[in-house]
Amino acid sequence: MNKPFKLDEHPRRPRPLLSEPPAGYFNQLPTRVMARLPRAEAPTTSGWAWQQLLQLPASLRTALATTLLLGGFAASFWLSNPAPPAAVASLDAVPENQLVNYLLNSGTRVENTDLAVLAAAHPELPGTFLHASDEELTDALDAQPIDESVYF
Amino acid sequence: MEDHEILAKFQHPASRNLAFNQLVRKYQSKVYWHVRKMVVDHDDADDLTQDVFVKVWKHLENFRQDAQLFTWIYRIATNECLSFLSSKRRKFLLPLNDVGAELAAKIEADPAVAGDEVELKLQQAILRLPDKQRLVFNLRYYDEMPYEQMAEVTGTSVGALKASYHHAVKKVEEYVTQHSQE
Repeated sequence: MNKPFKLDEHPRRPRPLLSEPPAGYFNQLPTRVMARLPRAEAPTTSGWAWQQLLQLPASLRTALATTLLLGGFAASFWLSNPAPPAAVASLDAVPENQLVNYLLNSGTRVENTDLAVLAAAHPELPGTFLHASDEELTDALDAQPIDESVYF
Repeated sequence: MEDHEILAKFQHPASRNLAFNQLVRKYQSKVYWHVRKMVVDHDDADDLTQDVFVKVWKHLENFRQDAQLFTWIYRIATNECLSFLSSKRRKFLLPLNDVGAELAAKIEADPAVAGDEVELKLQQAILRLPDKQRLVFNLRYYDEMPYEQMAEVTGTSVGALKASYHHAVKKVEEYVTQHSQE
């Protein structure tokens, strides 16, 4: 019978008898480890913003989405309505007396044909600036002196 | 370079890579052999050693200096080894003894132990120990690590470690005695 094996009597080694790693292994290992390290990535602004939005409570996210949706509708409504022509808008801003002075003093004279065309195109228009009833108009016309030489 | 110097340099982005390179150079051999004793195969040990240092990089910023740096690295390496062996067992549906037998076969094929019959039996006996008991045996017998430090690495009490080592030695001696008679 063999002598019982006692670990204390066996020559102690710093490590088991295993084959050594390939030559130069420990010289290359740091480089290989460094190549595997994750690169530090700065979070992009948009990515960060989305992450912040996702971290909001559900009620706040719903409110934010609703606001954005309504804002979108308002913007599309506003953009779909044609803006008044710039010339008309700027004329509206000019005081009436200035307009009258301009028409009276400028070389351009308003002819009867102009008024006729305007009245034909917009029948309701004379009523907006000629504040007089039919009777008043008839009386005013009858009071005018008649120069019969014009017609004869 | 001292550990505290490495840690101080690691805190600054400009010197972080240099500090970590120094850390790897300082501890690579110890980590590699700690892992190699557990998994035997060089390629597996190489992969795991790299994995250990990648994990060290990821968590070094949060390392609390109430433990020694090497004890902390040893702990990461230990967990990596145990996870590797456990996943290998699950992957191939192997019972405990089969992994030990597989590792023992690798030892037998290693030319470094050829001709040393007692050493071969000793290695086979060690590889047949359960993973955690083998880990305790390696830390105590080969690395001669104090029990208090082993407790930090393994997260086990000193008393439990002493008992585990005592049982491991008994098993190893019995195995070598029995198989030397054949």
